[in-house]
Amino acid sequence: MLRFILKRLWNGGLTLAALVTLTFFVMRLAPGGPFSKNRKISPDVQANIEAAFHLDEPVWKQFGRFVWGLLHLDLGPSTRFRDYSVGDIIASGLPYSLTIGFWAVVVASVVGVALGIAGALRRNGVTDYVAGIVGVIGIAIPIFVIGPILQVIFALKLGWLPVGGWDAGLRSLILPVLVLALPNIAYISRLTRTSMIETLRENYVRTARAKGIGWRRTLWKHTLKGALLPVVAYLGPATAAIITGSILIETVFALPGIGRHFVDAALNRDYPLVMGITLLYGGLLILFNIGTDVVRAWMDPRLRNAQ
Amino acid sequence: MKTTGIGRWLAGAALALSLGAAAPAFADDVLDRGIGSEWSSLDPQVNFDGAAGWILMDAYEGLVTYGPGGDVQPGAAESWDISEDGKTYTFHLREGLKWSNGDPIVAQDFVNSVARTLDPATVSEKGYYFYSVVQVKGAADIANGVTTDASALGVTAPDDRTVVIDMLTPAPHIMFIMGAFQIPPLHTPSLQANGAAGFVDPAKVVSNGAYVFREIVPQSHVLLEKNPNYWDAANVAIPFVKYYVTEDVTTELKRYQAGELDITYDIPVNQIEALKASIPEQVFISPATEVTYYSFDLTKPELQDINVRMALSLAIDREVLQEKIVKGGAIPSYSYAGGFDPTYDGPKMPYAELTQAEREAKAVELMTAAGFGPGNPLKLNIITTVAEDRTRLAQGVALMWKKVLGVEATVEPMERKAWLDAFYAGGWDVFADNLIGDFAGAETFLAYQRPSSDPGYNWVKPEYDAQMDVAATKPDAASRNIELAKAEKILLDDLIFAPIAIEPSRSLVSPHVKGWVASPTGYYNSQFLSLE
Repeated sequence: MLRFILKRLWNGGLTLAALVTLTFFVMRLAPGGPFSKNRKISPDVQANIEAAFHLDEPVWKQFGRFVWGLLHLDLGPSTRFRDYSVGDIIASGLPYSLTIGFWAVVVASVVGVALGIAGALRRNGVTDYVAGIVGVIGIAIPIFVIGPILQVIFALKLGWLPVGGWDAGLRSLILPVLVLALPNIAYISRLTRTSMIETLRENYVRTARAKGIGWRRTLWKHTLKGALLPVVAYLGPATAAIITGSILIETVFALPGIGRHFVDAALNRDYPLVMGITLLYGGLLILFNIGTDVVRAWMDPRLRNAQ
Repeated sequence: MKTTGIGRWLAGAALALSLGAAAPAFADDVLDRGIGSEWSSLDPQVNFDGAAGWILMDAYEGLVTYGPGGDVQPGAAESWDISEDGKTYTFHLREGLKWSNGDPIVAQDFVNSVARTLDPATVSEKGYYFYSVVQVKGAADIANGVTTDASALGVTAPDDRTVVIDMLTPAPHIMFIMGAFQIPPLHTPSLQANGAAGFVDPAKVVSNGAYVFREIVPQSHVLLEKNPNYWDAANVAIPFVKYYVTEDVTTELKRYQAGELDITYDIPVNQIEALKASIPEQVFISPATEVTYYSFDLTKPELQDINVRMALSLAIDREVLQEKIVKGGAIPSYSYAGGFDPTYDGPKMPYAELTQAEREAKAVELMTAAGFGPGNPLKLNIITTVAEDRTRLAQGVALMWKKVLGVEATVEPMERKAWLDAFYAGGWDVFADNLIGDFAGAETFLAYQRPSSDPGYNWVKPEYDAQMDVAATKPDAASRNIELAKAEKILLDDLIFAPIAIEPSRSLVSPHVKGWVASPTGYYNSQFLSLE
């Protein structure tokens, strides 16, 4: 098992290195730089500013500087937000993104699995249909449509929740978490339902029942673990995607997370910030994938032995 | 009236409920203001963007300040004298001025601010105000690293209450750049103790404006509280001001509608008409110091013919463009530098006095004479940014050129940084240009068009430079404006661009905010507002 984990980590590290290197050079191909403006300042002053951020050096040297900084856990200063280093910006935004992401994953897993099981046990019943409808809505309607609709209903019409921001404590969390969780509730409930139905037909489940084990015990002890394998496989990358994919949520709900910085940094050619967030997102994605593999291997001995 | 016990109880509950519901929305000793994107910096000598300028104008006070409507009025200085040649300005500070921590404010604090702005080690773009917008003695040499000698600087403090500014040339518009955005005083002991990081730590910032920092949360908000040490604190009505990052303009509108914001940074263009119909008294759209104009590539053979450029300019129906196509509240413009300073009486572009139908007839005539027609259409590209209203504007212009002149124009929207780069890289026939002025006057725009100042336009016109030099010798605004108008005439007559519009600033202002007066400078200091 340890060898399995180490091998995955090594491969993950290589992937991350490739991603970071590619991003660094591709980003410099985009026209314009962090300090292009339509109003000319003195060429000497412009040169001084560029030199302060080492933009006057050849790109390979800048890359060397970046790697050297990385080895010292220093991502450098942001060119757009002059009061903060890239490390400061990530440290200040990440807790918000993680909080929303964490609750969205919890809500999506609990509600999704529950709906899926209910649907599988009472196929074509009321719950099953409701779950199906929620699923279709969650998958089909994009965040930037459903978010504003919920804002209008719950903030403007009913006045129960704030439109955005982080000032109202728990109430600020409800809408963003819900909207972020919704498509995942849909996927998870469909996955659980299908997989549950398949597992219920498995021979070992029938054997368990034939041996006289109670229905409830069969379900919890024998069926669920097998049925949830695909859900776990989905959940790893989905968690990473939820945390890193909150860009739209953060924009629509005016939350101070990290996602908004990503697009903004790219548009402003804030090279260090783009690199920092790419590294973070890439790292998260790879780590969660490895985590998923480990959990699946633990749940399903066949996978472990195949390694 | 006699009420039963239950009735009273119900009435009480209803009152409690209604209070409970109203309280979070209007907990009102706080003015809630949207600010658009996050501030680039709260370091007063580094910050270079307008929205963050709002925060700085509240937290710091310059020698002068902008009153309601944008008038220059005394700030930290109670009065000033101007030398006869217009090159030396002497500011007299008020007596007993204090920093927020109680330290006395001295004239040297203003000198230190300019010196730090210009010092290459500060890595600030803002020194530009002192070596370009006005030419303070020694400023260029310090900014360019020619000298490190601070005593070479033409900003001095002969005593604790006097700031003297010596310039190389007279510049009456210097009064516009003496506000806190450009020249706040610097509390040197704090800087020495905390470095620049101290400017974003509310526990450490020492400021001198009507407000002090209480909270700074990146990507979220800045909370300011009234500064009891401010000299005019008795007249500051609102105890707290909260600036929210409101990047998404539709979310900002909803937050306003839900009562979370009192003042918005912008209004979604597609909502303007609906809002004007439903809440007209809350919609504030006024001209900003920003012009849009379409520049022509003067190196392209077809566009070297002034008649072609003239025809293209005349074929644009500027009123229809703004009122029917873009609908963002911009003001159609027939000049370039006029419309900001009411005392500036500038010229209009050629044929501005004709009706649009007459202009179009003239355009067709000029275009035909230049050899273009149905069999031989002029082909152009227009480079613009991807912003929705800019793209729509460019498509509108292309459509008008097609309809009136048969010109085949393609619109190429670009992301903003690529658009900036494209200006110098070339490859454009028509560049959808825009410029934000440094102050509400003609000179800031005209100076930008000097061939010596921006070679990107490929415009060689010694007469223009000469006329601008003549204007630069005039120490008083009135005679300077007369010379500037002559320069603008040379510029407009050469049609190196087609004037399009003056851009608007758009805000929603809640009815319980009092004292909001449209200002072309774009500064709305919270100290002049009150809440009802």
